[in-house]
Amino acid sequence: MDSDPTVHIDPAARPRPLSPNIQIYRPQLTSVLSIANRITGVILSLGAVGLVIWLGAASAGPRAFGAVRGIVGSWGGQIVLAGCTFAYFLHLCGGLRHLAWDTVHGFELRTIYISGWAVVAASIGLTLAAWLASLFVAG
Amino acid sequence: MIVESSDQVARFTLLKRFPVPRNFKVTPQSRIEKGRTWPAPVGASRVQAFEVYRYDPESHRNPRIDIFEVDLDDCGPMVLDALFWIKNKVDSTLAFRRSCREGVCGSCAMNLDGTNWLACTRFISDMSKPASIYPLANLPILKDLVPDTTHLFAQYEMIEPWLHAKTPTPEKERLQSPEERSQIDGYYECILCFCCTSGCPSHWWNGERFLGPAALLQAWRWLADSRDEAKEERLNALEDPFRLYRCHTILNCTRTCPKGLNPGRAIAEIKKMVIERGG
Repeated sequence: MDSDPTVHIDPAARPRPLSPNIQIYRPQLTSVLSIANRITGVILSLGAVGLVIWLGAASAGPRAFGAVRGIVGSWGGQIVLAGCTFAYFLHLCGGLRHLAWDTVHGFELRTIYISGWAVVAASIGLTLAAWLASLFVAG
Repeated sequence: MIVESSDQVARFTLLKRFPVPRNFKVTPQSRIEKGRTWPAPVGASRVQAFEVYRYDPESHRNPRIDIFEVDLDDCGPMVLDALFWIKNKVDSTLAFRRSCREGVCGSCAMNLDGTNWLACTRFISDMSKPASIYPLANLPILKDLVPDTTHLFAQYEMIEPWLHAKTPTPEKERLQSPEERSQIDGYYECILCFCCTSGCPSHWWNGERFLGPAALLQAWRWLADSRDEAKEERLNALEDPFRLYRCHTILNCTRTCPKGLNPGRAIAEIKKMVIERGG
């Protein structure tokens, strides 16, 4: 150690700090939509369990179905269902965007931003359309 | 907002940072503490505050944020000028890398107001008030704004960034048509500043094994080169769940490249080439 004048401290004594990453990096459309695609994927997995419970109750008979229907029809149930609908459309539209990228299309920065905002707008529009259809058409 | 090119500075964002705790996934020695404030010289009329990440390996203390008040009437227009002003007039111990001061060398890459860019090509007038300056994200810090890039260059070396030729050396150059030459446009210009790799969340979580956008853009630069004769070997080395496929097309890389290059597209081209060869 003494023979090397450039070494003043033992690197093992105190590990170097890691510069901050997620704690300081600015959220951008790119990263926000990416994490949103992950989160909606998780929500849809949980939603699939809910769908199985709903179908299972329907096959189990009127009492079980009535109970599940009561939960789904409540305010809380409706809000969760609306969230699942939005998650479904966001994940679907995001998936189509990824499909285009897999064929090496749409990588210009301008296109990335236009397609990103289009995914957001389309998911909101499709969610509203699905709910209006279910309320007014299906009753 | 529609971003047309990477040099566009975000004028407005809902969130300056992700809603995670300040010390989320932060090791004890990386926790950032409050530093001191260095006031502007008496009589300065146009003052801009800079919050700067400081770390002194010899102090045996944690990193801290110092606030420097810079007299803009006495300072050049770029963020790098402000760093020089601080180093020359306030605190000579401030450490940062720089060389060309015109966006060619890539030395002064750092995190400015939350995104990675070169300090020499960002105007002070485009910074927030106060401005925040951190080292490139997610790297071991040697001192202040100087990160240890050993691992990033090791990853660069791994893609073997040189021409692999099997055919005998011709008497003159290995020729390329203008058409073939144009295939590496947008890729050969990389200056290895590592803004992209340091801004890639996938590299934050899997940087040990995922090569990251900078190295992968270079990998594509050689795959796209008509003179290179080792495409199979290059693709074999890349086809791996981590090295290549930890890229989830987040595209922070393309958003942040100070040279306006497109690492995201380069990686998509590699993935497509792997599929097209029947891999």
